[in-house]
Amino acid sequence: MVAKQITRTSPVDTPRSAWLIGIAAWAVPGLGHLLQRRWGRAVLLGGAVWGMFFTGLWMGGHLFRLSSSDQGIAALLQILPMIANAGAGLLYVFCWLTNSGFADHAQMVTYEYGNTFLLVAGLLNYLAMLDAFDIAAGRKQ
Amino acid sequence: MRHVFWMAVFAGLTAVVFGVVAKGSDRQRLLYGLKVFGEFIFIALILGWILYFLPLR
Repeated sequence: MVAKQITRTSPVDTPRSAWLIGIAAWAVPGLGHLLQRRWGRAVLLGGAVWGMFFTGLWMGGHLFRLSSSDQGIAALLQILPMIANAGAGLLYVFCWLTNSGFADHAQMVTYEYGNTFLLVAGLLNYLAMLDAFDIAAGRKQ
Repeated sequence: MRHVFWMAVFAGLTAVVFGVVAKGSDRQRLLYGLKVFGEFIFIALILGWILYFLPLR
């Protein structure tokens, strides 16, 4: 009875450009909105993520990655923060390629703040990426 | 004071993103961003005072 009352909804096709916009938004914070001519959003979101990322590095924070020296639980503990860091897109990739930002600076007073800034910069860019994707897919104004 | 400053910077940048990606009119999103910022600061101060009275050393 209930099953009969449920009407099937046809899946909404997501335009391919929305996926490309999403990838661009992840790769360069703010670019997804910039490509859609959402200037205000691009400046605010890009500025916040870039600002938070570089402030985190400046404060002595370090980025996370999987390394061969980590075994078992230690390796697992690196995965979640690494995913958060990777949200910063090419900023993270650039640091990874140049091996910068991965060193510990625990002697600095602002070290823990820096770690938090770097983690949250990536997480906020995931939010910005989803926002850009939703706008490109027509799900949001 | 340095800690409070960086906490405010963190709250401000996070509130900007939360406000921008929120739904609603520009005014509603601005108010939401301000609310998020205020909540960050308020909760941090409350937690700070709670930790101050705890014998953690």
